[in-house]
Amino acid sequence: MRRAAGIGPPPRSILHDGCAMSELICVGAIAGAFGVRGEVRIKSFCAIPEDIGNYSPLLTEDGSRSYTLELTRAINNGFAANLGGVATKEQADALKGLKLYAPRDRLPSLPDDEFYHADLIGLTAYDTGGAELGKVIAVQNHGAGDLLEIRPAGKDSVLLPFTLVNVPTVDLAAGRIVADPPEGLF
Amino acid sequence: MSRSVWKGPFVDAYVLKKAEAARDSGRHEVIKIWSRRSTILPQFVGLTFGVYNGKKHVPVNVTEDMIGQKFGEYSPTRTYYGHAADKKAKRK
Repeated sequence: MRRAAGIGPPPRSILHDGCAMSELICVGAIAGAFGVRGEVRIKSFCAIPEDIGNYSPLLTEDGSRSYTLELTRAINNGFAANLGGVATKEQADALKGLKLYAPRDRLPSLPDDEFYHADLIGLTAYDTGGAELGKVIAVQNHGAGDLLEIRPAGKDSVLLPFTLVNVPTVDLAAGRIVADPPEGLF
Repeated sequence: MSRSVWKGPFVDAYVLKKAEAARDSGRHEVIKIWSRRSTILPQFVGLTFGVYNGKKHVPVNVTEDMIGQKFGEYSPTRTYYGHAADKKAKRK
C-alpha cells in the first residue's frame, strides 16, 4: 500500500528482524527440509508457536507467492509441516531461509489496552505538551511489565513502562502515542 | 545454598534511603539504582526503579509477586529483540 509522504501514520516498515513490510507481519521462517517426503522444518515466531498454523495461507515477503501450511508434528526447534505445492525434498530444500508473512488483518482483534507489538513499533511518541520524544523501536518484557523502547532523534534509546500512567493515549490510526514519562527518564 | 534466615534479606543501604525518599516525596519518578544484588522488599511495592544493566537503567515497576527476588533479575544485561509476529503488550 502506497502513501503520500508525510501524510497519515508512518508505515510499519521497520522491525528488528529486518523484515520490510507494511501490512504483512513476519510470523515464521522455513529452516529447511524435514525428511525425504517433502516436509519442511518451520520455525515459528508467534507468541504461541502452534498459532502459526492458524494464519495459513502464508505469503512471501513481496506477497508474490502463497503457501498453505499444515503442521504435522512438533520437532526440535520448530514444527514439521506440509506446504502447499511442495512435494519433494528438493523443493523443500530450495525454500530454506524463506520468511513467511501473514496479513495484519488475519490476526485476531484484541481487547482494549492490549496491542500487538507490530502495531506499536513505528509509532511516534509525544509528551503531554506535544513535543516529539522519539519513535517506538521495540517492545520488551523482562518480567516486570511491558516496556516501550523509544529512540529520540540522535540519542540512545529509552525504555518507558507501558502503563496507563506513563502512556495515557495510544492512537494507532494517527500513528502516535502520548507519553507522560516519569521524571528523569528522558 | 540459601541464605540464613536470621540474617534477613540483603539490601544495599542506599536503595532503602532512595526508596524512602521517593515514597515521602510522592513524585512520579524513576529511582535510579545500580544495586542489582538487592532484594525486593514489601515497602518497594508500587515504586519504579531504574535498575542498571551495565548500559542503561531499565525501569522496573515493583509489584507484590516480585517480593523476595533480586532487582537484577528484571534487568537483563543482554537483549535479544526477536520478531514481533503476533506478540501482544498489555497496558496496565
